Amino acid sequence: MKGALLPALLFVTALSQAQVTNERLLGAANEPQNWLTYSGRYTGWRYSTLDQIIPTNASRLAMQWTFQVGDLGQFETTPLVVDGVLYGTGQNDRAFAIDARTGRPIWRYQRSLPEKLQPCCGMVNRGLAILGERLFMATLDAHVVALDTKSGNVLWDVTAADYRKAYTFTVAPLVVKNEVIVGISGGEYGVRGFIDAYDAATGGRLWRFETVPGLGEPGHETWKGDSWKTGGAPAWITGTYDPELNLVYWPTGNPAPSNFGGERGGDNLYSNCMLALDADTGKLKWYFQFTPHDLYDYDATQIPILLDAQWEGRPRKLLVQANRNGFLYVLDRTDGKFLSAKSFGKVTWATEIGADGKPVVNANLKTDPQGTLVCPGALGLTNWYAPSYSPDTGFLYVATSTECDLFTSSPQPYRAGHDFLGSVYVPDPVERPTGALKALDALSGAERWSFPYFSNPNGGALSTAGGVVFAGESDGNFIALDAKTGHDLWHVQLGAAIYSTAITFQVDGKQYVAIPAGAGLFAFALQ
Amino acid sequence: MHIFKSLSWAIVLRFGGVITGLLCSSLLQAAEKTAAEKSAAVKEGASVFRANCSPCHGLNARGGGRGPDLTSGRWTHGSSDAAIFRTISQGVPGTEMPANALEASEIRTIISYLHSLSPPKNLVVMGDPAKGREIFYGKAGCADCHMVAGHGGVLGPDLSRVGASRSVSYLIDSIREPNKDLSSGMTDPNNHYGLPLVYDTVTLVKADGTKLTGVAKNEDTYSVQLISTDQKLHVLLKRDLKEVTHEHRSLMPAYSEDALHSPELAHLIAYLETLRGEDRASMPSREPNTGGTKEAK
Repeated sequence: MKGALLPALLFVTALSQAQVTNERLLGAANEPQNWLTYSGRYTGWRYSTLDQIIPTNASRLAMQWTFQVGDLGQFETTPLVVDGVLYGTGQNDRAFAIDARTGRPIWRYQRSLPEKLQPCCGMVNRGLAILGERLFMATLDAHVVALDTKSGNVLWDVTAADYRKAYTFTVAPLVVKNEVIVGISGGEYGVRGFIDAYDAATGGRLWRFETVPGLGEPGHETWKGDSWKTGGAPAWITGTYDPELNLVYWPTGNPAPSNFGGERGGDNLYSNCMLALDADTGKLKWYFQFTPHDLYDYDATQIPILLDAQWEGRPRKLLVQANRNGFLYVLDRTDGKFLSAKSFGKVTWATEIGADGKPVVNANLKTDPQGTLVCPGALGLTNWYAPSYSPDTGFLYVATSTECDLFTSSPQPYRAGHDFLGSVYVPDPVERPTGALKALDALSGAERWSFPYFSNPNGGALSTAGGVVFAGESDGNFIALDAKTGHDLWHVQLGAAIYSTAITFQVDGKQYVAIPAGAGLFAFALQ
Repeated sequence: MHIFKSLSWAIVLRFGGVITGLLCSSLLQAAEKTAAEKSAAVKEGASVFRANCSPCHGLNARGGGRGPDLTSGRWTHGSSDAAIFRTISQGVPGTEMPANALEASEIRTIISYLHSLSPPKNLVVMGDPAKGREIFYGKAGCADCHMVAGHGGVLGPDLSRVGASRSVSYLIDSIREPNKDLSSGMTDPNNHYGLPLVYDTVTLVKADGTKLTGVAKNEDTYSVQLISTDQKLHVLLKRDLKEVTHEHRSLMPAYSEDALHSPELAHLIAYLETLRGEDRASMPSREPNTGGTKEAK
């Protein structure tokens, strides 16, 4: 009897290795050879327990292969790696599978896009999600598609919204249970934001959470008149998930028009919020708004980091976010209670965050027709590029910018499908912005070290158990730093601005680090 | 507007009398409606312009550090509506003017807005370009640092088409107060959100304590590529340098009234206004054309 069962069990095991189950996604931290979700694991840490590359050998890193995606532009993907195969997306909604050892393509997918599309900030795509033998991709023409992992063939394709009204996707989906969760882009065009969940098997929509409340819904009163109809609050960065609480944490972006608030009086919920949604129903459990009635384009679209730690003498389930508005927030992720906020760079729009979690707005900032200088600028003290949390150091690694901007503000009529900004901002003409990768104490926000960049960044950070942090600069340098000290260990010039964040994986016992830049995806390992 | 005016007069002359008042009334209403539409187009155009064009051309289209004054009435790349439309939608290859993915209706509103602007009255250039050219290559010494059509120095920006790309007021400021708005250098086509370096003053201190001052052609966290004031190119790694300092001031001297009298300035501006990147062959000291085949590939 036993003899008959053994081959069958082995067969099941082999099959399960070929498929990415929910159990594997939940236990992603236990298979560091792979990279199974956008942030590497549901907690959003972008941290790996791989430790082959360490501070004393990082100088031996050398290129192993390069994959050319086919289009120049902002290559923003975070690839996935599953059992030796790497899956990614490229500009103009390309997708690909490649041999993770050699960089050789297995298949390529190119979506046929309509001519007139309205992504605010490039024809970008930030990556895929995976479940079973299916990859999920959200597209610039506001569709969600499922691709077969072995062939790239389209398994289903559903329309989420009307791209002609500037609804568009740039986000990497998040798979939770049988759901494919995505958030819409288009805050610069006056869309009404939403977060959707689709059935991974069929593409049927399971729920939608509108990020601007409609008539009769709580929060609707935070919009003057009909401004809610074009209120923005997009949801264009991938959220995180706590399986114990069954909550999905998804941040939202700016109200529209982003730089003129005169016709959208009120706090403008749920713009610039952290939303905690029931994973099964999409119902709102709690929200926290970082920048009410925003005038400076401070999208809260930064990855929420989930930590369990001691807080004021007792264990607590925390959510940490380094927000674009310049403050590092700590919240209780069970109920959204505000615990602390500390600025991590130059901030002038607010003097502090009060005990109630609301900003004390700087009353001295007056609107000037020629522009009012505000810090941080519209691109934020940090932005969508991923932070990383290392449990070894307790540090949150955050790429930061010193850019301050001159904001002007004026009314702008809404026209469907057209930009809806309420005027414009320009960088401070005197101080050229620079950047830095900062190591912040994840709980106190205290700066532990800072590695200066010559230019303000577009790329984030990856940390590893080897004690190395990897980061990409907008001047094209891919850098390895000592996670404890910030000491510069190694760098290579990749020839194009880096708009993404590295991942790490292992094949045949060799740890790789991969980073996109320009049209190329580059993989490095020890020589 | 002027079309309706002519039409109403034609009708008055033909029919006269009672009908004139009726027609005029309805035509005036039409004209008013058209004026309202035009006003709305101008208003929307101003909004589209501010969002898309003002970072280079200035909030009021009077020119900025990267784009020319669009109120001067002079259009280097064609002054007809069709030509301006083409310039906006397709950009101008070889210049900083990019193609813009705006809808046709949006571009038309921008054109309406630009037509509504009047040229600045106090900036009429009265100088003599020939005298200005003499000043450029002579007394003012501009060519020591600036190149025009292949001749001159390399420390400052190439001015071969500065007349097409900068406003008169910007040129005057650049000469009288060069620190007011530093010119931009090379842009990185792969860095959508990046800002170009400016022509500020960079001082490098080498390990042995020697100093180099000049303009950075490029720089990143690890290296700097500098043209020193003696116009030599230095490519250096920052690990070999003790110090890299940027001062937000131009290496160009400020030409005060004492250094350059107002009439001389007017001549110089008049000369710079002629520099539109179209006249390389007319440069006097140009090397003779040695021929060669156009088929060479």
